[in-house]
Amino acid sequence: MAMAALKREGKRFAPLIAPNRINTLRSSLAPSEEQAPFGLRTISTQVVRNRMKSVKSIQKITKAMKMVAASKLRAIQVKAENSRGLWQPFTALLGDTPSVDVKKNVIVTISSDKGLCGGINSTSVKTSKAMHKLNSGPDKENKYVVLGEKAKVQLIRDSRKDIEISITELQKYPLNYTQVSVLADDVLKNVEFDALRIVFNKFHSVVSFMPTIATVLSPEMVEREAEAGGMLGNLDSYEIEGGETKSEILQNLGEFQFSCVMFNAVLENACSEQGARMSAMDSSSRNAGEMLDRLTLSYNRTRQASITTELIEIISGASALTG
Amino acid sequence: MASNAAVPFWRAAGMTYITYSNICANLVRNCLKEPHKSEALTREKVHFSVSKWADGKPQKPTIRSDTPEE
Repeated sequence: MAMAALKREGKRFAPLIAPNRINTLRSSLAPSEEQAPFGLRTISTQVVRNRMKSVKSIQKITKAMKMVAASKLRAIQVKAENSRGLWQPFTALLGDTPSVDVKKNVIVTISSDKGLCGGINSTSVKTSKAMHKLNSGPDKENKYVVLGEKAKVQLIRDSRKDIEISITELQKYPLNYTQVSVLADDVLKNVEFDALRIVFNKFHSVVSFMPTIATVLSPEMVEREAEAGGMLGNLDSYEIEGGETKSEILQNLGEFQFSCVMFNAVLENACSEQGARMSAMDSSSRNAGEMLDRLTLSYNRTRQASITTELIEIISGASALTG
Repeated sequence: MASNAAVPFWRAAGMTYITYSNICANLVRNCLKEPHKSEALTREKVHFSVSKWADGKPQKPTIRSDTPEE
């Protein structure tokens, strides 16, 4: 008697399964996929459907970000390549001496303000910290000048005391020489240094950014190295016109060299940032696509399983009644 | 010889070579004729925010904006 009543209940509930899906909306946030009023068996596809929708919109967003980064990269790459000509004469004249041994070392770390650009900021910070360690000794001093939010956040964690100046919001307007030179001027006026190490990511191609260190010596160091010989020792063979002395000229040249090298470094880092963002967003879109495929498969499987279950129930209920 | 007295006027006034060359560049840009002039002046916009640190703590940031020659 009770069995027959239950089977009748089963038959009556079967057509109600479809509208009852609305009940599952209320608890779609529950971790389990089966939620139903008592006596009903259904599996919710709402959870999977929500996930599919959000993954699809994330994919669209990352694709758009990639396009934006590609167009910005094109614009700034031209500038960066043109700026390489600014510091090459300096290297030809004064040489690049990364192995110089100095007492006061200032490490200028260049990074981006915005995130989602892959690992370039972490490599810059790692290189700066390695530089710091390399140059530590009994009476040697290392200070940081930080450009960009991302490096600041990372360096705060363990080198708070060594940060001298931090600069942000650099890319509000398109980068130009005047801006970077004012910044360089600020650094020169506020920080004492014997050698400046500028750490940035050099842009070799859209997929390759190498962390690079450019060294600029202060004028006194240049004089000291000049006596030691090498490229700088040849400076004496140049004839100086006008009423200036050699140390005057070296001071002017040193300041100008810093400004030019900074300009190039900031531009190259910006290029690397856009390139890294392009590849990060590209791999993110691809991952989102794969996720979407897997979710679609699981959605279809769940849907078909629930349809099959309904059919089985209806048919077995019907056959129990007739047989 | 006169190595102490031959300091150029701008260095005696406290400017660095960078500031000096920026001022000269601004003067040259202002000599251009109209369509090129406004283009060139857009290349002079400056904006960034600096904050000095003391003892591991940042001090109030100052914003240097739109003052291309200080």
